[in-house]
Amino acid sequence: MTASDPLVEFRSVKKSYGTFEAVKGLDLTIGRGEFVAIMGPSGCGKTTTLRMLAGLEAPTAGTIRIDGREMNDVAVHERDTPLVWQSLALFPFLNVKENVEFGLKMRGIGAQERSDRAMLWLDRMGLKGFETRPIDALSGGQRQRVALARSLVTEPEMLLLDEPLSALDAHLVIRMQGVLTKLQKELGITFVYVTHSQSEAFAMADRVVIMGQGEIAQIGKPQEIFRAPQNRFVAEFVGRNNILSGEVAGGAITIDGVTCPLPGAPDGAAEIVVAADRMTIHADDPGKGALPADFVSEEFAGTGIICYFEGPSGEELKAQVSEAQLAELAPEPGRRFWLSWAPEAAHSLTA
Amino acid sequence: MRPGPLLSWIYLAALFAFVFAPIVTSMVFSFNSDRFPTVPLGEFTLHWYETAFARAEVWTAFRNSLIVAVTAAALSTALGFATAYTDFRYGFRFKNAYLALALLPPTIPLVIMGLAMLAWLSRLGLSGTLPGIVIAHTVMGAPFAMAICRLRLQQMDPSLEAAAWNLGASPWRAMGAVVIPFCAPALISAYCLTAAVSFDEFIVAWFVSGLNKTVPVMILEILQGNVDPQINAIGTVVFLTSMTLVIVAQLLLLRKTAK
Repeated sequence: MTASDPLVEFRSVKKSYGTFEAVKGLDLTIGRGEFVAIMGPSGCGKTTTLRMLAGLEAPTAGTIRIDGREMNDVAVHERDTPLVWQSLALFPFLNVKENVEFGLKMRGIGAQERSDRAMLWLDRMGLKGFETRPIDALSGGQRQRVALARSLVTEPEMLLLDEPLSALDAHLVIRMQGVLTKLQKELGITFVYVTHSQSEAFAMADRVVIMGQGEIAQIGKPQEIFRAPQNRFVAEFVGRNNILSGEVAGGAITIDGVTCPLPGAPDGAAEIVVAADRMTIHADDPGKGALPADFVSEEFAGTGIICYFEGPSGEELKAQVSEAQLAELAPEPGRRFWLSWAPEAAHSLTA
Repeated sequence: MRPGPLLSWIYLAALFAFVFAPIVTSMVFSFNSDRFPTVPLGEFTLHWYETAFARAEVWTAFRNSLIVAVTAAALSTALGFATAYTDFRYGFRFKNAYLALALLPPTIPLVIMGLAMLAWLSRLGLSGTLPGIVIAHTVMGAPFAMAICRLRLQQMDPSLEAAAWNLGASPWRAMGAVVIPFCAPALISAYCLTAAVSFDEFIVAWFVSGLNKTVPVMILEILQGNVDPQINAIGTVVFLTSMTLVIVAQLLLLRKTAK
C-alpha cells in the first residue's frame, strides 16, 4: 500500500531500548496531503514512531525519509515537523501571541512579520482578542487551538499530532475533530495523528495504521479496517466484532455444530469475523444457520445497544440492536436466543 | 476559645519569642543611648550607628561581604542550576552518587570545612584573599541553589523543552528561551538565598579570610576587644539585609509553587 506522492517513508525502521523492541521493522509510506492516523493500544510503538518522525528519538536501524531526504541524522530543531503534544506543552511564561510567535522567532523572522502571521493564525483559530492572555487563563479548547496555531504558523508541510484530544471533554473532542478535519482539507498538508481512540481515528483519517507490539497489524481506509480486519488482533482491537472459529467444508462453515454458508472459503479450520451490527437476534430458533446464545447483559453504546451473549462453547457474542428492538426482545439474563448473519457479513481472517 | 487552640497559640507565640527575643533585644539596644544594655532604657539615639559606620574597617568589611556575597551567589546559582538540570535532563549510571555528592557540603561540620578550605586554598595561594572566600562560599551555597532549582524543574512539563526544539530552537536557544525563563523565579530565589548564606557565614570565612575580613568576622574581632553597642547596630544591619534576601527568596518560591 503506497501513496502516489510519498512525503514520508519509513524503511525497516527499528527502535529498541536495551532489550525492549518498541518498534520492530516498520515499513510505512505516507503521502503528501494525507491524513494518516496511527492507532493502537498503549505500548504498541505508535508514539515512538511519531517521535522518530519528529527527530526526538533516533531509529536503532532503518531509514526515515521526508520529502526524499534521509532524516536519521537531522537534529530536531533542523526539521520542519511541528508536533501538537499530548500535554500541549504551551509555554506558561509567554502569552497566547508570544506562544504562537515562538517558531517564527526561532527562525529569525522579524518582529513585524511575526506579529502579522501570528495574528492571522489566531484569527483563523477563533482566538482574536485573546492574544495578550496568559495561557493559564484559557479553557482546554482554547489551549488546544493555541497549540495548533503555534505549530501551523510556520506553514509546515506536515503536522504531527500526539493524542491531542485525550484531555478534552467528550463534546469538545467532537468539535475539535471537525476543526482538525476542516483544517487539514483547507491546508492540504499531511497530518500524522497518533491516538488510541478508534472513534477519533476512524472519524478523521484517510488511512488508518493499526499497530500492535511494535508492528503494523493492518493499514487501510477506516471502512476496510472496520469491515475487513486482516487478523485477530485488529478484529479484537477494533471492537464490537464477533470472532468465531470453525471448520470450513464445501463453502460452509460449521461452528459449534451449526453450519452457515461461507461461499468461496477454502476447506479447513477457519476464523470468521462478524460485526455486532450485522448480527440478527431471533427469539425463536429459525431452524438453521443460527447459533444458540444465552443472554448475559446489555450495554448502551450511543449509536445503539450492544447485547452480550454466551455461545455454545462459552464464547462471548455481541449483537447490536436499536432501543425499539431491545424493548421487543425484552431479554433477561440466561434466556436463550439465536444469532444469525448473512453470509456476506462474515469475513474470514487470514491470520 | 477552647483550650486546645489557645494552647497552640501560646505555644506558637512562645516559640517565636524564643527565636526572636535575642535579635529584637539587640535591635532595641542599638537605638539605646546607654553604654551598657540595662533596663530601664535610656533615650533613643542613632549614635551607635554613626560611630560604627564612621570606622573605616566597618566599611571595608561591608564592602568585602558584599563583593563575596554577590559573586558567590552568582556562582552558586549557576552551579546549582547546572547540577539540577543535569539531574532533570539526563539519566546515567551512578546518578544517585552524583546527587549525593552534590548535596554533601551542608552535612560537613563547618569547622572541618573551614580547616579543609584553609589548607586547600593556601596551597593555591588564595587563602586570605576575597576569591578564596568566594570559592568557599560557592561550595557552601551551591547545594541550596540546586535544591531550589530542582524543585522548580520538577514542575516543568518534560515536553516543554522538546517543544522548543520541535519549533526550531537549538538546544542552547531552548535553554535560553524556555528552561531559564521557566526557572527564573527559582534562579532569583536561589541567588537571594545563597547571597544571604554567604553574607551571614562566619566560621569558614573566619578560617580563610585572613586580613580581608567579612562582616561576621569583623564583629567577632570587635567583640573580643570590648562589649560595645556598636555591635548591636552592625548586627541589626546584617540581620535586616539577610532577612530581606531570605524573605524575597521565600516570596518568589511560594508565589510560583502556589500556582
